[in-house]
Amino acid sequence: MKFKHESIEINAGLLIALTMVVISIGGLVEIVPLYYINDTVEQVDGVRPYTPLELRGRDIYQREGCYLCHSQMIRPFRDEMLRYGHYSLAAESQYDHPFQWGSKRTGPDLARVGKKYSNEWHVAHLTDPRAVVPESIMPGYPWLMEPLQYADVADRMRALKFTGVPYSETQQEYDANVAKFGQDAADKLNILRAERHLVQQAQAGNYDGDRSRLTEMDALVAYLQMLGTMVDFSKYDEGYFAEFR
Amino acid sequence: MTEALQWLGRLENSKIVALLLFFVTFCGILFYVFTGKQRKDRLESYKYIPFADEEKSHGDSSRTDETRKVDEQ
Amino acid sequence: MAQAAVTGTEQYNYAVIRKFAVMALVWGVLGMSAGLYAALELAYPLLNMGIAEITFGRLRPVHTTLVIFGFGGSALFATSYYVVQRTCQARLYSDMLATFTFWGWQVAVALGVVSYMLGYTQSKEYAEFEWPIDLLITVVWVAYFWVYVQTLKRRSQPHIYVANWFYMSFILATAILHIFNNISVPVGLFTLKSYSMYSGVQDAMTQWWYGHNAVGFFLTAAFLGMMYYFVPKQAGRPVYSYRLSIVHFWALAFLYMWVGAHHLHWTALPDWTSTLAATFSIMLLLPSWGGMINGIMTLSGAWNKLRTDPIMLFMITSLSFYGMSTFEGPLMSLKSVNALSHYTDWTIGHVHSGALGWVAMISFGSFYHMIPRLYDTKLYSQRLVYVHFFLATIGIVLYITAMWVAGIGQGLLLRAFDDFGSLAYTFIETVSFLHKPYVVRALGGAFFVSGILVMAYNVAMTIRLGKREAAVIEAKLAAKLARA
Repeated sequence: MKFKHESIEINAGLLIALTMVVISIGGLVEIVPLYYINDTVEQVDGVRPYTPLELRGRDIYQREGCYLCHSQMIRPFRDEMLRYGHYSLAAESQYDHPFQWGSKRTGPDLARVGKKYSNEWHVAHLTDPRAVVPESIMPGYPWLMEPLQYADVADRMRALKFTGVPYSETQQEYDANVAKFGQDAADKLNILRAERHLVQQAQAGNYDGDRSRLTEMDALVAYLQMLGTMVDFSKYDEGYFAEFR
Repeated sequence: MTEALQWLGRLENSKIVALLLFFVTFCGILFYVFTGKQRKDRLESYKYIPFADEEKSHGDSSRTDETRKVDEQ
Repeated sequence: MAQAAVTGTEQYNYAVIRKFAVMALVWGVLGMSAGLYAALELAYPLLNMGIAEITFGRLRPVHTTLVIFGFGGSALFATSYYVVQRTCQARLYSDMLATFTFWGWQVAVALGVVSYMLGYTQSKEYAEFEWPIDLLITVVWVAYFWVYVQTLKRRSQPHIYVANWFYMSFILATAILHIFNNISVPVGLFTLKSYSMYSGVQDAMTQWWYGHNAVGFFLTAAFLGMMYYFVPKQAGRPVYSYRLSIVHFWALAFLYMWVGAHHLHWTALPDWTSTLAATFSIMLLLPSWGGMINGIMTLSGAWNKLRTDPIMLFMITSLSFYGMSTFEGPLMSLKSVNALSHYTDWTIGHVHSGALGWVAMISFGSFYHMIPRLYDTKLYSQRLVYVHFFLATIGIVLYITAMWVAGIGQGLLLRAFDDFGSLAYTFIETVSFLHKPYVVRALGGAFFVSGILVMAYNVAMTIRLGKREAAVIEAKLAAKLARA
């Protein structure tokens, strides 16, 4: 049979089928291999899932739309390395559901903001940015001083566990976490004791400067202070990471 | 046969094969679409479809007349 | 005339199109105003006022959702239902299902923006809807697909006109993108919160595969469908080359899906993916310009229409902006350019030259053509269309030049070094630099918003006119019947 483009134009089913084929190829070629090529994500020590408190902080980070003005992805350029630190590794966001790389820097990158400022600075800055940085155009977030809701933190961890984050529920999973992340971290990744560990971490960290209250500020500052601190870059040669780019 | 498949499976080979395949298909479409006087007339005749629906239900009569003129050409 | 009006509404389902058209304008006014306010917040942060619901981080998705899905989406439903009926000369399939797509879509948009203000978001750009709304959208979309296909099947002649191919590809691609990008695990059945099924690199790649093709199919292919019908109709002459449209269609549909990763240059995404995306982005220039040429050349030999017809002015200007932004896009997808432009306002400017210049302008033009026909009357005021055109054009020009200055300026400041090899500027110094461009940008936005307000007034008056005329005709008919 001789081909005619009209055969497609007069047949809705064929038009749909061919369009589907044509629009599927690009996505398949680019996305599917990312799940199978094992060098997409580097093998590094130290990257662990978020503790219950950090997780709640991360939820608040998402809720307020921080990702719309702050990226979490340092590119391998001299100015960015000087300003923010070592370029970001794929491994560092492997437990990020969803990713928070961002697409716009109205404010600076936050991928390695952890431990750069004191807790007090963060609290003051988040409550009223211009009190600390006069030229800042960031909104203030005074309502973060309200009590943190954490009754459903175990449910949140279970949902993440379903996506593949290694939070533990059984003894076997817990033991695996001890072997992988160490005793201290494994304790905090235990879903069954999530609420207790959340309160403990907030007490010990005293993120919002007031141990008597457990606020959203505690969670958000705990999250920010952890960002980019998990990998000890002094342990690796620069050449190692370049292999994965 | 398996050797050929293995050869194709290597990224550096499949890349170039895919590129060639896409490019040839593209050229094929171009060739098909833009050659042949008969084909040209046939394909171009479909661009009048939007005017097959005469706007008798609308007040803008000047436009309809103009459309008819184009249709008759 | 009266007879014809009756058959017109009986032959086609105009009721649902009217609803979508009106709502497109309502969402457009709200969404663009939200954008203007967000722009002002960046220039004057005091405007955040310490109110959680309207801080920039929550208002920005409200703005993007209202303009993309509220305004753009409703405009696409309206025009696609109009075009498919007119080019198939068949009535829309199932009034009930079509009405369902209307209410479903409006409810989804409304629920979406309210939920963002309350802090419920998936935090994936342009896919912020939480899971129950995603499910609703999926159902609406299946209904939309079904209505569209069934209407195509009712067509009165064998050929499916090219505009419908574009609308069809938009419906199909949006379905695939929406479903795969939004796969997530809810925290509980009775909570809105969910977590994306994907993480890190994979999530980023899936998101920008979605994000860029939301631009490619939702904001481009579908509006090209609009272009392929309304530009020829308004010009009163057929499209420049039907054969070019065949090549244009298949090339665009194929190439767009490859380019999403250019949003992730220099990130932790594997290099081969972003190189591939950059290559395809360059190739994409060809079909994009093919479409632009096809649209603009439709007017060849009748350029004088530009002097007399403000609607044509909207359409041709929109195609020029389409050409410009599809040239700027591949340029920005080059890795070396992207190193400077990424993360800056240049991207924001680029998006708006496409969104305001192309998407909004072609919709305005098409609406000015379509709405009088839907109400079987004439446009209330031609002069107000001119006013709208100039307000919109001045607004866009201010907007994108301000963003070029802001983006390129900040990009250069951030990578400047002093004589000792250390950074010349702190980040906050570049933020101070942005103030003036941000004020100009907000001014441009204000122009654009006043433009759509003028349009809303013009359309409202047109509708009133149409209804009054219909009432007069009906009264005459009734009188005639009473006499007989």
